[in-house]
Amino acid sequence: MTKFLMGAAALVGLAALPQCALAQDAMATPGKAVSMVLLPKFLGILPFDQAHKGAEEAAKELQNPTPLQFLGPTPQNSVAGQIEIVTNATTQGAKAIMISNNSGDQIVPAAKAAQAKGIKVVTWDSPIPSSEGEDVFVAQVDFSDIGKVMADMTLNLTGPGGGKFAILSASPDAANQNAWIAAMKTALKDPKYAKLDLVDTVYGNDESEKSYTQAQALVDKYPDLKVIMSPTSVGIVAAAKALQDEKLCDKVKISGLGLPSEMLAYTKNGCAPEFALWSFIDLGYLTYYTSYLLATDALKAEEGAKFKAGRMGEYTITKDPTRAKGLRILMGPFTIYNKDNVEAAAK
Amino acid sequence: MSAVGTLKSWEAMMLALLVAIIAFNSVGSPYFLSVGNFVNLFQLSIEKSIVALTMALVIIGGEIDLSVASVMGLAACVMAWTFHAGVPMPAAILAALGAGILAGLNNAFWIARVGLPSLAVTLAGLIGYRGVARILLEDRAIGGFPDWFNTIGQQALIGPLTAAIAIFFVLFIFFAIVLHGSAFGRLVYVVGSNAQAARYSGVRVGLVKAALFVGSAFVAALAGILYAARLGSVRGDMAEGFELDVITAVLLGGVSIFGGKGNLVGVGLALLVILNLRNGMGLADITGNTQNYVIGGLLILSVLIPNMWQELTNKWRGRET
Repeated sequence: MTKFLMGAAALVGLAALPQCALAQDAMATPGKAVSMVLLPKFLGILPFDQAHKGAEEAAKELQNPTPLQFLGPTPQNSVAGQIEIVTNATTQGAKAIMISNNSGDQIVPAAKAAQAKGIKVVTWDSPIPSSEGEDVFVAQVDFSDIGKVMADMTLNLTGPGGGKFAILSASPDAANQNAWIAAMKTALKDPKYAKLDLVDTVYGNDESEKSYTQAQALVDKYPDLKVIMSPTSVGIVAAAKALQDEKLCDKVKISGLGLPSEMLAYTKNGCAPEFALWSFIDLGYLTYYTSYLLATDALKAEEGAKFKAGRMGEYTITKDPTRAKGLRILMGPFTIYNKDNVEAAAK
Repeated sequence: MSAVGTLKSWEAMMLALLVAIIAFNSVGSPYFLSVGNFVNLFQLSIEKSIVALTMALVIIGGEIDLSVASVMGLAACVMAWTFHAGVPMPAAILAALGAGILAGLNNAFWIARVGLPSLAVTLAGLIGYRGVARILLEDRAIGGFPDWFNTIGQQALIGPLTAAIAIFFVLFIFFAIVLHGSAFGRLVYVVGSNAQAARYSGVRVGLVKAALFVGSAFVAALAGILYAARLGSVRGDMAEGFELDVITAVLLGGVSIFGGKGNLVGVGLALLVILNLRNGMGLADITGNTQNYVIGGLLILSVLIPNMWQELTNKWRGRET
């Protein structure tokens, strides 16, 4: 009986072999026990819960018997908390840690220590600025595209006459938001946007209350402000609420990156007629797939490596144009939401 | 029950709690009982532990220093800023320690000289020193320190111990001797129990308080530098909110918030309790808010139990007489 089984296994193995050799893309072998940690910037906001949902979907598809750990710090303790979670995951011998980095390069020593133990460190949503201690970054959309989209939306809202606008960002050291703001500043050099005047950039630290007061402060400080651009899902909602409460939505418009379900009311009442985002569910799914492939040695984090990520199709690891030494996987695409499509997306 | 008796029983309770937590953690996680994990357990909160030592002295002296975390941030930012401006690292570190001493002298002036309450003065410090730190670094993160500096913060130097852990143990012994074996230590208790009485019996209360606040800020600056070395880069919000964790540990250690009572052994035990609890919860994949609930609950109990005990014994005595 045992011999028969072994023989059968060998046959199956032989049958599978040519397929592997023919396939160009790295394919995942489902069912391997890989302990993986999904670490958002902090717990308690919808985009990260959606990413978690996407990662769970991939985990189910890949039949990983080890449950996915979704661990995050509180917003007030984000840096020390992220470092603590990475260090504890290293102690526990996790195989892959997936980080939406909120700690700038301060996460580097902990991430390097994890790598030294053979753990794959994959960043998503927000990378490690120096890319040290990171295997690959799963980027939601091309950062320079975000800059252009934000500039376009601003111009749409001010009208061809242009005018003053301000940026309400997350924390001052959030690598993704900073890269997008930089991309927007680059895009603004195009003569097309010559009449747009960026007057200020303020930080709400991705806390609702602080973002709300920062938005209020902006409209007080600049009476002729036309648009507040907030490239964070927390900031954009808080700013829209602030303007609605101050009854200023006729004068000042909100735009940026937001979740349809949270923005629905403000898009319909005209406070935030237009905003953009990508799917965080897909981002979580792709991140999990990538990390599983890396942790099972089916994929190497090097330039040019191709792989297939389940329902999302084929991806290639490339150099990251926004960071000197980083590698990235580009997810895309972007969706622009307005009163025509926001309702369907909010469901 | 005498004061000494209460203290002893307090430490016994902490020790029992510690043993229970360690036992629970060892059963709960196969990774808990390893040298590497114990080093991590200390290392992840070592700066707070260091600052807790001087905080204990300040609180026993009847005062409080809310500005410690901001002084940590200030020192790290001064160091990063001067280094970034081209000053060699050793000089930048001295500048950071100097900034710490200045902050301490400022606190000491308003508290010991002018006589303002330390709660208000150091609350102003908490805001003000953080402000200076943020102005210095704006929204940047400064890193790229020399390798030897990062090594101090990140590598094992003495056996498996990092420099910061070794410094903690040296400072623990030093401050234990200062508090429990020196004339200055006795003055700290006297001033903390009753500053007015101490003043009438010729104790230079202002000088004792000034020494406490300068020492507190100096040690906080040192901790800020060690924190920068551990993380390898500095930004303006560094160590924000740490003061509450530090004060939590000190109070849990049996130090009375009203001054005059407590000792460093209790504080040491409380630190071990908190660190092991955090670590055990971390390894059990419990993070964030839940950790805060548990530690907050522990603190409430630490304040409640001695007070209830006091009340009960008072009632008992009332019945006897």
